[in-house]
Amino acid sequence: MIGVLVAIGVPVLAALASIGRLTRFAIRALTRMAQPPWYPAQVAQQMLSIGWLSLPVVGLTAIFTGSALAQQIFIGGSRFNAASTVPAVTVIGVVRELGPVLGGLMVAGRVASAMAAELGTMRVTEQIDALVTLRTDPFRWLVGPRILAAVLVMPFLVLVSNALGVMGGWLLATQRLGFNSAQYLATTARYLEWDDVISSLVKAAVFGFFIALMGCYHGYHSGGGAAGVGKATTNAVVSSFILILLSNLIITVIVFGS
Amino acid sequence: MTSAPTPRIELAGVTKRFGSRQVLAGIDLAVAPGESLVIIGGSGTGKSVMLKCILGLIPIDAGSIRVDGQEVAGLKGAALDAHRTRIGMLFQGGALFDSLPVWRNISFALPGSAAERKAAAIDNLARVGLGPEVADLKPAELSGGMQKRVALARAIAARPPIIFFDEPTAGLDPITAAVINNLIRTLVTDLKITALTITHDMASVRHIADRVAMLHGGKIIWQGPLASLDGCDNAHVRQFITGSAEGPIQMPGARA
Ligand SMILES: Nc1ncnc2c1ncn2[C@@H]1O[C@H](COP(=O)(O)OP(=O)(O)OP(=O)(O)O)[C@@H](O)[C@H]1O
Ligand SMILES: [Mg+2]
Repeated sequence: MIGVLVAIGVPVLAALASIGRLTRFAIRALTRMAQPPWYPAQVAQQMLSIGWLSLPVVGLTAIFTGSALAQQIFIGGSRFNAASTVPAVTVIGVVRELGPVLGGLMVAGRVASAMAAELGTMRVTEQIDALVTLRTDPFRWLVGPRILAAVLVMPFLVLVSNALGVMGGWLLATQRLGFNSAQYLATTARYLEWDDVISSLVKAAVFGFFIALMGCYHGYHSGGGAAGVGKATTNAVVSSFILILLSNLIITVIVFGS
Repeated sequence: MTSAPTPRIELAGVTKRFGSRQVLAGIDLAVAPGESLVIIGGSGTGKSVMLKCILGLIPIDAGSIRVDGQEVAGLKGAALDAHRTRIGMLFQGGALFDSLPVWRNISFALPGSAAERKAAAIDNLARVGLGPEVADLKPAELSGGMQKRVALARAIAARPPIIFFDEPTAGLDPITAAVINNLIRTLVTDLKITALTITHDMASVRHIADRVAMLHGGKIIWQGPLASLDGCDNAHVRQFITGSAEGPIQMPGARA
């Protein structure tokens, strides 16, 4: 009996402890970000490396997925004589779910891992200690600019992702499925709602926050040596994936569920 | 009634454990203003940890660390910044910021315009025997010994009154090592800084030290002026300075 309690209790306690540690880290990052000194050059550099350099991978993912989605809707819709729903369902599917989620996952794979590796290396080579002795707060110099840049840049990336996703669907529908281009675009525009776009951008900002938070948190608390940094990188990617999918579900249920 | 001047740095009963490993087990040590103290001791005995405790990077479990009479443990915010402003630190591994060029590393905490800070960086490079052409390189483009010297330049750049050197000559050729030893000695003698140096290099000890302390088993087991080092009858110290495998300090796994 006690053995069972211990077997359940130990991992639960460990999970609670790490949630507490993560929450403290997030609160500390946000409160320090709110007070000077600020480092705008650091933010700009992070925006460049998160945003600009993620464009190709996010764009390609969106085009391929938008096309595949249109193809599947066409196949499924044909069974109910509803093949004409392709533009409407594609735009809703892309803007509400696939654009932000796949964009978020791709950026997480690129950026959360890179942040965890960079901060982890800085931790194990004592660069973070050196920052502190040079009276620079790692939360303001390293963590804050990454979180801010990710939150600012992700909505733009997701806009691109949405646009290219819809374009992928349009390309496939007009080139392979025999849709009329002007009609397809007109239907797309009719079914594209402002609420969908706004929820998409809100999701993007939330995902950006979690991506940078996980990258920084795991890197900052990285254990010793190359193995420690490797583990931090893996944890950053896995945990940001989970948080993206979970927060996406929560936002979707809140915004569209009622 | 005369009282001794307040030590610049004073450790009393400092203990620190990591998990089950008691690294510092009651350190008592005082460094006078303008003095150069060299700490010797085997690998893994907690020398670097001790410096980080004084800087307030690692919290101690018990005891007291005072710098200029002020307790380090409770310092926060501006007071902690002021404490760290007074100390320059050369990390054992250099700890250069690899995303920044050499000159921005050296001038990281210096005030002024970019041009002034770059000039100051080049000035400090010269003091460690490096030319201005190094200033624009990234740390990854330097050899290990050059990185160490850039890190040294960063530690001394703000002219702090106290400087910690964690193995300043490790990995340097004998000539460069002599240049660094001279630099540290000059800083102490001419600029009256207080220096705390960790080294395994006995030539360095003889060149830099006013006083020597040996850390072993989490405690300072011997300390005394440099002149008394050779005549010292402490078996641990004797074994260390002669570099002998035979003696009271046994390496795990090594057998006679
Ligand atoms: N942050 C830390 N967490 C856990 N253990 C640590 C930490 N820092 C140091 N230690 C442990 O403390 C002990 C002393 O480490 P320290 O780096 O002070 O040794 P050292 O005397 O400087 O050795 P060396 O001469 O090889 O540099 C080591 O056993 C090390 O594993
Ligand atoms: Mg050390």
